[in-house]
Amino acid sequence: MHNGKTSIELVVPSILGYEIVARGAVATFAHFIGFDQARIEDLKTAVSEACINAIEHGNQLQPDLPVHITSSYDGHRFTVEVSDTGTKPFGTITEPKTIEEKLAGAASLRGMGIMLMAALADEFLVEPSAAPGNTVRLIWYQCEVAQP
Amino acid sequence: MIELRLPSRLGYERVAMDAAASLASRMGFETDRVAALKTAVSEAVTNAIEHGNQHNEAMKVVVLLTVRGDELIVSVTDQGHKAIDAAYVNRVPQISEAMKRDDKGGWGIWLIQELMDEVEFTTAPSGGNQVRMVIHLER
Amino acid sequence: MLEDELKVSTRVIGNIAVIDLVGDVTTFAEAKINAAYQEMSQNGAQQILLNFRQNDYINSAGIAILIGIVTEVTRNDQKLAFSGLSPHFQKIFRMVGLSQYAKIYQDEQEALTDLQNAATA
Repeated sequence: MHNGKTSIELVVPSILGYEIVARGAVATFAHFIGFDQARIEDLKTAVSEACINAIEHGNQLQPDLPVHITSSYDGHRFTVEVSDTGTKPFGTITEPKTIEEKLAGAASLRGMGIMLMAALADEFLVEPSAAPGNTVRLIWYQCEVAQP
Repeated sequence: MIELRLPSRLGYERVAMDAAASLASRMGFETDRVAALKTAVSEAVTNAIEHGNQHNEAMKVVVLLTVRGDELIVSVTDQGHKAIDAAYVNRVPQISEAMKRDDKGGWGIWLIQELMDEVEFTTAPSGGNQVRMVIHLER
Repeated sequence: MLEDELKVSTRVIGNIAVIDLVGDVTTFAEAKINAAYQEMSQNGAQQILLNFRQNDYINSAGIAILIGIVTEVTRNDQKLAFSGLSPHFQKIFRMVGLSQYAKIYQDEQEALTDLQNAATA
């Protein structure tokens, strides 16, 4: 069984469509860990949004710039980190806008990805990488914390 | 090009199989060719896990998927704890022989060679075993 | 979990022992498949059908397990058949030579009909 930390790493070019391959690889990994199908669907959507962000925004659709996806599991926490090479900073991430605000024109319609990632992952954060670039970290806990 | 780094644990070959299949489907490969590719990738990665890396999870199996025109090139590299037995390359295993042995395996390399359009077994610059296989899109 | 991707169950239809294999047939399947075969053999099965379902992953380690079953079946003078394989794995089973020892049917119904007819003929 899964004792200790296990990880898979994936590097894809900044071409739209490759997020589907990345999403599939991470989903297969999550399936091994024993995640149920509903969580895997959440994870697939969040991972593809993170990759699309990295491809379109961070790497500005330059095919040769890599997107690094590291997915790891430590026994109870499943983490996915998606890093770009940061041609363009991610920008200041404030509270994700709601759909109502977006429809009312108070926030850009793009950026839905951030809202989705925040909603679907148990934890979501964006941080500048050590190297120039942005890293999105998505975390899921295998078991819900039991209510007292 | 897609690069995948996997731990040497049986089961993880499916991450590579699914990634390769997803890419091949997008390229327009037919279902039966995608299935053949999945089997070949599975055999190459399980070989790397079991033989090349001797199930040492800290050792990585590196899978590169490269799209070049109408072909998909897959390379699988291990860390070369144990070299591929040359006797398995270009050998046609016989089921009647396998039935007499305790170990009924030894089909992997032959399957890869049967299913892919081009297959090459080499030693990577790092010293590990490298399997390079190519599948052509037929239009 | 990773190691538990195969469900094996057994049933008897007429004089045919059916072993259903749902999931992945890899090295992790060995104990389950062998146990199911032993159970059916001990119950006196003469005709055994390995009925595959939703098996999109059978690898060479899984094939080696099946060659083991073929070896036992030959030794015990039983009859073995396969059903429910995808076209890809039907091809692989033919390439490996498993089809020399066990007939491959498209689906369970075709197998049961043919095996029952053969037994009564």
